[in-house]
Amino acid sequence: MADQLQTLDLVKELVYRLVVPSDRNSAEQNQPPDLEKPLKYAIRILNSRMTPSVAADESAIVESIKRLLVNEGKSSDALTFADMYMKLSMKSGAGTIKNRWAVLYLLKVISEDCRKEKSSHLYTSTSSNGLPLLTNETDNLRFFKSQKTIDSKGKGGILMVSKDPESIREIAIREFADLVTEETEVPEDALVRDVLFACQGIDGKYVKFDSHLDGYALSDSLIVPRATRIMVRKLCELGWLFRKVKNYIFESMEQFPAEDVGTVGQAFCAALQDELSDYYKLLAVLETQSLHPIPLVSEMASSGHSGNYLSLRRLAVWFAEPMVRMRLMAVLVDSCRVLRGGAMAGAIHVHAQHGDPMIQDFMRRLLRRVCSPLFEMVRSWVLEGELDDIFAEFFVVGQPVKAESLWQEGYRLHGGMLPNFISQSLAQRILRTGKSINFLRVCCEDQGWAEAASEAAAAAGTTTMRGGLGYGETDALETLVSEAAKRIDKHLMDVIFKRYKFREHCLAIKRYLLLGQGDFVQYLMDIVGPELSEPANTISSFKLAGLLESAIRSSNAQYDDPDVLDRLRVKMMPHGAGDRGWDVFSLEYSARVPLNTIFTESIMARYLRIFNFLWKLRRVEHALIGAWKIMKPNFISSALFATKDGSSVMSQFVWISRRCQVLWNEMNHFVTNLQYYIMFEVLEVSWSQFLEEMDAARDLDDLLAAHEKYLNAILEKSLLGEASLHISKVLFVLFDLILRFHGLVDRLYEGIRELQSSLWKNDSRGRSKSKLKSNNEVSKSGQLIGEGRKALTKFAGEFRKKMGEELDKIAKDYSSSLGRFLAELPVQLNVDLKFLLFRLDFTEFYSRLWAM
Amino acid sequence: MPREIITLQVGQCGNQIGMEFWKQLCLEHGISKEGILEDFATQGGDRKDVFFYQADDQHYIPRALLMDLEPRVINGIQNSEYRNLYNHENIFVSDHGGGAGNNWASGYHQGQKVEEDIMDMVDREADGSDSLEGFVLCHSIAGGTGSGMGSYLLETLNDRYSKKLVQTYSVFPNQMETSDVVVQPYNSLLTLKRLTLNADCVVVLDNTALNRIAVERLHLSNPTFAQTNSLVSTVMSASTTTLRYPGYMNNDLVGLLASLIPTPRCHFLMTGYTPLTVERQANVIRKTTVLDVMRRLLQTKNIMVSSYARTKEASQGKYISILNIIQGEVDPTQVHESLQRIRERKLVNFIEWGPASIQVALSRKSPYVQTAHRVSGLMLASHTSIRHLFSKCLSQYEKLRKKQAFLDNYRKFPMFEDNDLSEFDESREIIESLVDEYKACESPDYIKWGMEDPDGAMSAEGNATGTLDPKLAL
Repeated sequence: MADQLQTLDLVKELVYRLVVPSDRNSAEQNQPPDLEKPLKYAIRILNSRMTPSVAADESAIVESIKRLLVNEGKSSDALTFADMYMKLSMKSGAGTIKNRWAVLYLLKVISEDCRKEKSSHLYTSTSSNGLPLLTNETDNLRFFKSQKTIDSKGKGGILMVSKDPESIREIAIREFADLVTEETEVPEDALVRDVLFACQGIDGKYVKFDSHLDGYALSDSLIVPRATRIMVRKLCELGWLFRKVKNYIFESMEQFPAEDVGTVGQAFCAALQDELSDYYKLLAVLETQSLHPIPLVSEMASSGHSGNYLSLRRLAVWFAEPMVRMRLMAVLVDSCRVLRGGAMAGAIHVHAQHGDPMIQDFMRRLLRRVCSPLFEMVRSWVLEGELDDIFAEFFVVGQPVKAESLWQEGYRLHGGMLPNFISQSLAQRILRTGKSINFLRVCCEDQGWAEAASEAAAAAGTTTMRGGLGYGETDALETLVSEAAKRIDKHLMDVIFKRYKFREHCLAIKRYLLLGQGDFVQYLMDIVGPELSEPANTISSFKLAGLLESAIRSSNAQYDDPDVLDRLRVKMMPHGAGDRGWDVFSLEYSARVPLNTIFTESIMARYLRIFNFLWKLRRVEHALIGAWKIMKPNFISSALFATKDGSSVMSQFVWISRRCQVLWNEMNHFVTNLQYYIMFEVLEVSWSQFLEEMDAARDLDDLLAAHEKYLNAILEKSLLGEASLHISKVLFVLFDLILRFHGLVDRLYEGIRELQSSLWKNDSRGRSKSKLKSNNEVSKSGQLIGEGRKALTKFAGEFRKKMGEELDKIAKDYSSSLGRFLAELPVQLNVDLKFLLFRLDFTEFYSRLWAM
Repeated sequence: MPREIITLQVGQCGNQIGMEFWKQLCLEHGISKEGILEDFATQGGDRKDVFFYQADDQHYIPRALLMDLEPRVINGIQNSEYRNLYNHENIFVSDHGGGAGNNWASGYHQGQKVEEDIMDMVDREADGSDSLEGFVLCHSIAGGTGSGMGSYLLETLNDRYSKKLVQTYSVFPNQMETSDVVVQPYNSLLTLKRLTLNADCVVVLDNTALNRIAVERLHLSNPTFAQTNSLVSTVMSASTTTLRYPGYMNNDLVGLLASLIPTPRCHFLMTGYTPLTVERQANVIRKTTVLDVMRRLLQTKNIMVSSYARTKEASQGKYISILNIIQGEVDPTQVHESLQRIRERKLVNFIEWGPASIQVALSRKSPYVQTAHRVSGLMLASHTSIRHLFSKCLSQYEKLRKKQAFLDNYRKFPMFEDNDLSEFDESREIIESLVDEYKACESPDYIKWGMEDPDGAMSAEGNATGTLDPKLAL
C-alpha cells in the first residue's frame, strides 16, 4: 500500500511538474482543476493493462519514431532522438530502464495522442489541456524536458476514441474491466498467486485454510464474484489434498524410527514424495507464469495471442491432471493410514484396477515402488529362506519354535498381510519354499539348498540380486517361486529320503512298532512276557531295555542298520495301582531331528496306540499258542489219556478237554483271522499305498499328508478310530476272555496231570503192595487203594465240575461277546471291516448259528 | 533264540528225502555244498539259524542227525559233494550194519539198544540250541529202520522232550503196486500207532500220490526215487519258508501247526504244491496268480495223498483246516479277492462244528533260486478224507493178519515174545479210533461224539480198556 501511495505521489509530482510551467505561461488561476485531469489521465495510463497490439520490438519502435520525426520534417529532432536513444541504450547497470521498448512505445503513443488532439475536435473537450508531453520517467526527465520544450506547442490530452467505430468495443471492454475492477476487491493475479500458495499448503493473502470448512477458501469478507469464489475453492481442493498427502508423509517420516511404519510404508512415502516433487516442479513453473500480468480481455482480443500469464481458468486446466493424481494419492493415503506391509500393498493394488490408462500408469509406478520391499522379501524368503521382516509386514510370519515343530508351526501365512495380487496358492507355495529352506538349514543342517536356489533363480531368469522383481511381474514371480519350489522341494525330498532315510525309518517303524518283524516280536514276547506279568511298579525298565537288546540280538533284527536299532527303546507308560506290566509296556522309536517333524509326538502317540493294540493281539495269540502247547497232540494222546490204568478217572476229562479244544479252535480262528486281516487288509495294503504316495510326493507337505493318511487308515481299520470305540471295547473283552481261557486251560491240565501222577503213585503203591501177597495185607491195602481211588475219583469229579462250570462261563461270555462283535462289524463305517467279517465267517458258521 | 528245529533222518528213505531237503535249503539260503555262505548271498532277511548253526570257521552246519542201521545211503551221502556239510558226529550207522531187514520189530529193538548213543547226539544238539522248538523226523513207515527205529525215537522224544514239538514227514508206501516189502502193512500199522500217539504233527507223503503226480502232472512215465524225493524236498522246504523268512505271522513252527491242528488227534496233514517242476524238465510255464495257485491247490489231483475214498464218502470229506503258504511277489489285495472267489464258488468244504477258514501266509521267495513262476503255493491241510488212507492200511493189515503171515519175524523180538501180539491189536484199535474221530469230524456234532453222557463217564469206573477210544470208555 505504501508502495502504491508513493507511486501515486510521484505521479502527482510528475504531473504537477509537467503541467505547471505551461500553465504558468497561460493562466495561473485555474491551476488546481487543470492539474486534476492530467493526473487522472496519467493514472489511467499507468493502470491500464492493455497490451499493445504491436509486437514488442524495440528497434522497430525506434525506427518508427525516427521516421515519424523525419516525416514531420524534424530531421534534426530525429538525429537528437537517435543520439538520445543511443545514450539510453548504452546505459546499463542499476537504475537503468529495463523495458525500453515500453517506454518508447509510451512516449510514442502519448505524442501521437497529442497530434491527434491537435487535429481533432476534442482538443478543447474533456481532456482539455492535459499533459502536453507526459512522461513518468524521472530519470530521463531532463531529456524529456528538453524534448518537451521542443514539442511544447502541442497540448497533451486523453485518448478518447468514442466516435471511432474501431474503438467502441475496446471502450466497452475497458469499461467492463473497470466494472470488474470495481466489483473485485482483489485482483485476479493476486488470487492466482494465492491459489498457487494454497496448493503448496501455504495460506495466501486472501485464500486461507478454513478449518471450519476443512478447505481453502476466500474469506467471506472479501468481495469477489461468486464464480471466482467457487473457482478458487475448486482449485484449492488440490491444496487440501496436497496437505493431506504431505501430512501423511510427514507424520510417517516423523514416526519412522519410533513406530514401525515398515519398509512398505517407507517405500510408499518415498513414492509419494517423488510424485510430489513432480508436482512441485509444476507449481514452480506455474508460479513463474503467475508473475506475468494478466492482460485485459481487450488486449487479449486485440493482440490475438495469449501470453504466459496465469488466470484462474488457466490454472483449472493446469490443475486437471495433478488433481486426479493428488486425489488418488489422498485416497491411497486415507486407505493406507492404518495399514502396513502386505496389507498396504494390497490396499493400493485394489485402486490400481482402473480403466484410465493414466491412473493405471500412475498406480503401476507407485506400486512398483511400494511392492519392491515386499518382493524383495519374497525373493530372499524363497531363495535364501531369510525372513528379514523387522516390521512384520510380510505375509509369512515366523515364530520361534523347537526344531521338531518348525515345519508344522514355525511359519504360517498371515492372511491380512497377503496382498491380493498374490494368489492364495502362490502364497502357499512361497511359504512352503522358504519353509523348506529353513527346514533344510535348521533341521537337516544341509547346505545343498543354496545350489538349488541359485539354479532356480537361473532357471527363472531373474538374478539372485536384490530388486530383481517388481510389481506387475506376477508371472515372473510365479516362475521364480515355482522354480525355486520345484528345486528346493526336490532337494528337500532327496535329503529326507537319501540322507535321513525316511523310507527306511518308516519301514523300521512298521517292522518294530507295528510288529512286522515277527521273529523279533516273538522273542520279545517270550523273554519279556514273564517280566510283564509282575505288577507294573516293580518292573525295572532298565531290565526291560536289556531284554529288548537281547531280543534284537537273537532275531533277524540284528542285521538291521545299527542306527535304526539304536532308536528303538522300551517305553513304560504311566501306570496306576494294580496295573500289570502288560498294561504299561510299549516300544518307542525315537525319530530325531529332522524326522521328528514327520514323526511328531502326537504321531508317535498314535503309533503307540497301534503298537499297544497289536501287542495285545500278539499277547493273546501267544496265550492261545501256549494253551495249544498244553493240550498239544502227543501230550494229550500219550501222556494223559493213553494210560491203561486210572482211565475211568481220566476219561471224565476227555469231554471237558474236547470242549476246551473246540473253544480253543473258535478263539484261535478269531485271533488268527483278526491277525490275517490286520496284516493283509490293514498293514500291507496301507503300506503299499503309502509307498506309492511316498514316491509321488513332491514336497514335505505331500509326504506329511501321505503319512497321515497311512496312519489314519491303520488306526481306523484296526478299530482304533473314534467311531469304533464301542466295538473295540467288545474286542478287548474278547481278548480278556481268551487270556482267562488260557489260565483255565493251564489250571485244568495242571490238575489233570496231578491226578494222573497221583493215580500212578496209587497204582504203583497198590502193585508193590499186592506183590507182598499177604492175605491180611491184601484186604487192607485193597481197602486203602479203594479208598484212595474213591477219594481221587471224588476229587476228580469235583475238580471236573468246577472247571466245567468255569469253562461254561467263559464259553458263554465268549460267544455272547463274539456275537456282539460280529453284529457290530457290519455297521462300522469303514468298508474294509467287512473283510474282517468275511474272514471270520468264511464258512458261514456264525451265520448258520444265528439262523438257528 | 532262533527257535531251532532239529531234523532226524532215519532209515534209507528218511536219509534220502532229508538229503534232498538240505540240498534245497542250501540253495535257498545261498550256502555252498561245503556249508560256506556264497558270495552272492548277501541279501539278508532270511533266518538260517533255525535249521543251521555256524561252526567256529563260520561255515553252516545243518541241525540234522543222520541215522541208519545199514550204511548204504549214509555212505552215499558221505561220498557225495555234500559230505562236508554235515557234522560227522551227528551221523549214526549201526555197528553191525545189517539193517533192520524191513522188520519194524527189528528196527524198534535195535533202536532200543542204541538209545544211549542216539539220545546222546540228540541231547548234544538240543543243548547246542538256545530255544529248541522241536524235532522233525523224516522216515518211511513201511520199511524196517524208518518205521521201527523211528517209532522208538518218537516214543523216546515224547518221553524226554514232552514240551517240544515233534513233527514228522512220513512217507507212506505205494499201495497200488505190490511192494517188495511184504510185511509193509504190519510195519505201517505199528508205526501209525506211534505217529498217532507220540507225534504232534504228521505230514503225510503218500508215495502212491507222489508217483501219480509225477506221472500225471509231470508226465514222467517211470518216476525215479530221486524225482519223487525232489517233490518231497520241495514240500518240506516250502512248508518251512515262514520260519526261515520271518514276517508278520507264522514265524514259528508251533504257531504254524496250532491253527492247523485244532483237535489234537487229527494231526495228519496233507500237502499240495503248485506249480510243480522237476529238475531238468522244461515245464510249460503257467499263469500264476494268487487265485490260480489257491484254486489249483484245492484240486485233489495236486494233493500228495491218495484218496481211497469212494465218491460218496469223498463228498462227505471236510477240511478241518487249510494253510496256504504263498511264495513270491504277491499283492496282498489279491489274497482277499481270491478268498472271495473261492467262497463264492464253494470250492471248499469245511467242518461244520466250528468256524474255519483258509489261512494264507505270504512268504518271501529265496532270491537265489530262480523259478519260472512268479507265484508258487504250498497247501498244508487237515482233511477228514485222510482216514481212508488209514482204513486202507488197516484193511491190508487185516488181510495179512488173518493169514497170520510173516508174524514169525516179529516174534523174534522181545515185544512180541511168547506170541504176544497185543501190540498189533492195540495199534489196530488206536488206528480204528483215529479213523472214527476223523469220521466224527465230518459231522456237525463232533463235540458230542462219544460223549452222549459225560456224567455217565463217571459211573463207568472200572470199565477200563483202551481209553483212547472214548466210546470204549463208556
